[in-house]
Amino acid sequence: MSAQFDRRRFMALSGLGLGATALAACSGPNTSGGSGAGSTAATDWSKVKPAAKISFMSSHPGTSQPIEQTLIDAFQSANPNIKVDLITGGSNYEEVAQKFQTAQAGNSVPDVVVASDVWWFRYTLSSTIVPVDDILKAVNDKTNDYNTTLYDDYKYNNSHWAVPYARSTPLFYYNKDHFKAAGVPDRAPKSWDEFAQWAPKIKAANAALPGYANVYQYPALAGYAGWTLQNVLWGYGGGWSKEWDITADSDATVKALQWVQDTIVKDGWAGVSSKDAVSDMTAGAVSSTVSSTGDLVGTIKAAKAKNMNIGVGFLPGGPVSASPVCPTGGAGLVIAKKTSPERQLAAAMFVSFMTNAANTAQFSAATGYMPVRTTADMSSVISKTPEIQVALDQLKVTKSQDYARVFLPGADQEMAKSAAKFMNEKADVKATMTALTATLEGIYNKDVKPKLKS
Amino acid sequence: MSWLDAGGSHAAAEAAEKGDDDGTVHGGPGGPGDGRRGQVKPPRVGTARSSGRSRTGGKYWTPRARREALVFLALALPNIVLIAFFTYRPLFANMYYSTLDWTLGAAQATAIGWGNYVEFFTSSDASTVLGITAVFTLATVGGAMLLGLLVGIALNAKVKGQGFARSAIFAPYVLSGVGVGLVWLFIFDPVYGVLSWILRGFGASSPQWINDPKLALLMVIIVYVWKNLGYCAVIYLAGLQSMPKDLMEAASLDGAGSFRRFISITLPLLSPTTFFILITSLLSSLQAFDIIRIMTRTGNGTNTLIFESYLQAFSTYNRAGYSAAISVVLFVLLLLLTGLQLRFVERKVHYA
Repeated sequence: MSAQFDRRRFMALSGLGLGATALAACSGPNTSGGSGAGSTAATDWSKVKPAAKISFMSSHPGTSQPIEQTLIDAFQSANPNIKVDLITGGSNYEEVAQKFQTAQAGNSVPDVVVASDVWWFRYTLSSTIVPVDDILKAVNDKTNDYNTTLYDDYKYNNSHWAVPYARSTPLFYYNKDHFKAAGVPDRAPKSWDEFAQWAPKIKAANAALPGYANVYQYPALAGYAGWTLQNVLWGYGGGWSKEWDITADSDATVKALQWVQDTIVKDGWAGVSSKDAVSDMTAGAVSSTVSSTGDLVGTIKAAKAKNMNIGVGFLPGGPVSASPVCPTGGAGLVIAKKTSPERQLAAAMFVSFMTNAANTAQFSAATGYMPVRTTADMSSVISKTPEIQVALDQLKVTKSQDYARVFLPGADQEMAKSAAKFMNEKADVKATMTALTATLEGIYNKDVKPKLKS
Repeated sequence: MSWLDAGGSHAAAEAAEKGDDDGTVHGGPGGPGDGRRGQVKPPRVGTARSSGRSRTGGKYWTPRARREALVFLALALPNIVLIAFFTYRPLFANMYYSTLDWTLGAAQATAIGWGNYVEFFTSSDASTVLGITAVFTLATVGGAMLLGLLVGIALNAKVKGQGFARSAIFAPYVLSGVGVGLVWLFIFDPVYGVLSWILRGFGASSPQWINDPKLALLMVIIVYVWKNLGYCAVIYLAGLQSMPKDLMEAASLDGAGSFRRFISITLPLLSPTTFFILITSLLSSLQAFDIIRIMTRTGNGTNTLIFESYLQAFSTYNRAGYSAAISVVLFVLLLLLTGLQLRFVERKVHYA
C-alpha cells in the first residue's frame, strides 16, 4: 500500500514540477513588429502609493558594498514602509548589464540598477527603463542641484534616463618615490610631451628596482581602453567620433595612437597592464598610470600599507589641446520599466535618497567617486583624503565622451580589440583604425540609426 | 556506454537471465559493440501472443502489461519531462532565436532567416573562431590524452606511495575551473606572477601571457591540459589494470621487448579506453568555458566557438540572435563529430 501511495505522490509531485517549470518558462522576443510598449501614457504619480519592497542591483563599484548597505539602512529607517534588497549583480558593469537584460525575459526584474556610461543608452533604446524627470518631481527631488554635466550625460529625446551615482573621471596616478629618485617635479606632467622627456630619466633611476617594468602602464584592455585613450585622442585633436560621425581613422586620431604605439614599441618606456594597472603600480612595477577616480581611496589605502607614496594629478594634455582632455565616466542609477508604478515610485524615492547631497558625499568619501550634487558638503571628506580635491578640480574641465564609445553597442569592446592589435601586437595603426572605423559605422547603421528618435 | 564493456559475455549472461522472464528479450549473441543489450520489446507483444492462459481474452492490455507500462511511465516520465524542458526546449528555442536580429533584453526582434549564419560564415569571424577552436580542441585533447597515457603507465607501476600519487594526479580534475583559472593567473601574470619572478631570477623578462593573443591561447591550453590530465590518467589506469596478464607473459616468452609489448598488445587492448576518452574529452574541450572566461576576459586570441557565442550575447554586443547562431554551429559540429566517431572510429576499436 505504502509503495503505491509513494508512487502516486511521486507522480503528483512531478506533475507539480511540470507546472512550475511552465510558469517559470521565459518567453522570447516579439517579432510581430510595432512596439506598443514604447509609448506609455503619463502616469499620475500623485495617485500612486510606493511599494513596500524593491530591489537594487549593483556591482558595488569601487568596493562600495559596505557603504551601499549603510545608505540602504539609512533609507529604510527614514522610510520604514519600504524595504530595499541589495543584490550583487556581478563584479563589473558588464555582468550587471547581463543580469538585468536576461531578467527582461522573466517576470521579475530588479527595480533599481547600476548602469555604466555605455549601458544606459542601450536600455533607453530597448525601452527597458523609464525616464526619471516626472517621477523625481513626484518625490519632490528638484534635480537642479545635480552637477549639470553629469546629469545631462543621461539626456536623450528631452528626458533624463538615469541619475548620476558612481561617477568618475580618469586620474593620473604616479609613484612619488620613483619621480623623486629621477629628479623630476613631484606632480603630474602638464602634457604628454613633457612626460616623454621625463620618462627616460624615471626609467634610468628606477630600472634596478626588483620587478620594475615600465615608467607608464596603460590600463588593461579588459578595463575600458576606449575610455582612457580618449584623453590622448583629444589632446591630439582627434577622437573616436564627432557626434555620430566616426573619426577613428582621421589623421589626428591616427597620429595620437601612433604616439601611443611608439611609447611602447619604439621608446620602450610604457607597457600595457595584463589585469589591473593600479595593482601593477602598488606592486612597485610601474611608476605611473591612468585610472578611475573610483580607485582613489582603495589605491591610497593599499599604497599606505606598503609605505609607498602615491600622488595624483590631472590628465596630461596634448600638442593640439591642453584642456579639456578628460572624459567623464562611471555609472548612474536607472529605474526598470517592467515593474509597476508603485515599485517605480518607491525606486524613485530610493535613487533620490542615494544621490542626495549628504549621501553622495558619504559615497564619495568611501570610494573616491565624484559627489554628484553641487550642494554636497565635501569639506570633511577632503580633510580625510586630500587627493579627492584634485579629482573635484578636474571635474570642472571635463568633456562628455565621444558618441561612438558610449552609444554604439559593442563599440567599447571593438576599441579594446583594436588597441590590443596596435599596442600589443605591433600592428599598423592606420590599417587597424581604418578597419575599426568600418566596424563602428556598421554597428551605427545596423543597430543604432534605425532606432534613433528625431 | 557499450564501449566500456570489457566483453560481451557479461551482456549475454544478463540477456539470458532476462530471457527466463517472458521470452521477449532478444539477447545478442554477445560480441563486439553489443549495443542492443537490454533492448526489451514492449511487453504487450510477447504476452499477448504467448500467454494462451490469459483470461482477459479479447482485451488488448493484460493487467500485468498495464502495470508494467505504468511502472515504465512512472520511472521514465519525470526524466523525459525534465529533459524535454531543460534540454530540448532550450535547444529548439535557441534554433529559433538564431533566425532573429535580436538585442538581448529587448522585447522586439526582427526575423531575418539565415542572416546570422550568412554573416558568420562570410565575415572573418568564422575562420578566426573555427581556427582557434580547432587549435584549442586538438591541443587539449591530444595533450591530455598523451600525457594522461604516460602518467597512467607511471601510476600503474607498483611502487610505494602510488595511492597518494594517484590522488594527487586526479585532484586538479575535481577542482572548480574558476578557482584553477584564478590561481594560474597568479602564476602567469607578467608583473607579479610567480613565473615572472622565476624568470627575473634568470635575468629574463616575462612574456606577455595575457596581452599576446597567441600566448594567451597557449596559456589556457596549458592550464586546461593540466586540469584534465588526471581524468585521462585515471581512465587509462583502469584500462591498464584490467589488462590480461597471460597475454603479456606469452609475449615475453616469445621474446617481445617491453616497447614491443606496449605497441602491439597494450595499445590495441587500450583502444576501447582511448575511444571513450576521445569522445568525452572532445565534447568537454569544445564546451570548455570557465578557464577561458576567467583567464582571458576579452577573448583576445581565445575566442573559441562557445566563448565567442558568450561574448556576442553577454559582453557588450548583446547580439542574442547572432550568438544563438554560433551556438547552433557548435551544436551541429558536436553532433557531426560524435556521429562520425561512433560510425567510423569505433570500428577500429578492439574489444578483448
